Amino acid sequence: MVKPLQVQEAYEDLLQRSLSRIPCDLGRLLYLASTRDYNTGSYHHDGLADRFSVKVARSALEIAHRQAFYKVAALSLEDLVRDLAAYLESSRENPEEFLHTWQRLEPYRIAIPMEVNPTVARLFASNVRLALAVLRLRRESSHSDR
Amino acid sequence: MIGLWGALAAAVVLLLVLLAWVRTEAWSKDSRSDWGVSDQEQGESVEACSPEIVSQLFSARDSKFISGLESPGLKNLFRRERTAVALHWVQETSAFISKIMRRHLEASRLSADLEIATEAKILLQYAQLKLYCGILVVLIGLLGPQRLAGTALYAERFIQRIGEGLAEFQLAAQLRERDGSESL
Repeated sequence: MVKPLQVQEAYEDLLQRSLSRIPCDLGRLLYLASTRDYNTGSYHHDGLADRFSVKVARSALEIAHRQAFYKVAALSLEDLVRDLAAYLESSRENPEEFLHTWQRLEPYRIAIPMEVNPTVARLFASNVRLALAVLRLRRESSHSDR
Repeated sequence: MIGLWGALAAAVVLLLVLLAWVRTEAWSKDSRSDWGVSDQEQGESVEACSPEIVSQLFSARDSKFISGLESPGLKNLFRRERTAVALHWVQETSAFISKIMRRHLEASRLSADLEIATEAKILLQYAQLKLYCGILVVLIGLLGPQRLAGTALYAERFIQRIGEGLAEFQLAAQLRERDGSESL
């Protein structure tokens, strides 16, 4: 049985040690989604599991993932565009390549937690698609201005 | 003469409704195929859509932001995307209402002391909500979601209120039944 107080402690630990170092909401969401096993859907984080327990770490990661997801899903489009631009910058990838890959492969879909309202999941994916289109448009117009 | 104008007006309204229906059907089909198997069954959502998300979905702020970018292609994409999600929300909400009603009917069937007036009131509210969803689908197709923020939020609050009311009604019926079986 996982105690809520332990989960709360693990959650705060996760916020302080790992999530606070990530500069944007989308980055935090993708990081948390990456701690989830694609096959089983269960979460794992070595450091957190060592400090607490596997089960406590799993619960804390699941809660943090859902919270990060709802935060990004509720962002206005303008804020999401800003956040996505910050994520793109922090990734240090080629912007053209990044935008092309994200528009073709839609990797952000794996950031959706398991048990969320389908409308929220759709709104999230739709907003990211729109934010990508806005960033592409901005890049194209800045290229044509030169 | 009035009869002719009336018939013409009715024909125009019917045509608009038909047009809206065809457009919304196409959009919702797009969004269904877009999501595929990852979607849950309609109305089987594990949690309700919060009012914050509903206002975000129907928000005029995002529409203004996109309009400010002065790109017709982006405007079209925005309208298509938001309409598809808004229609999905209406379908999900409509299915959710039906699920609540089904559960209520199941509970009512087992209940020994049905109150006709209460049942009639619930049925009326159910019909009202279903009609509301139908009107929303047509309006979303005609006007786009951004002009319907107030209407959508009203529907969301109404559904939540009815859902809570039905849950309380079911709980009361269960308690009455339990008390009845214990006193036997």
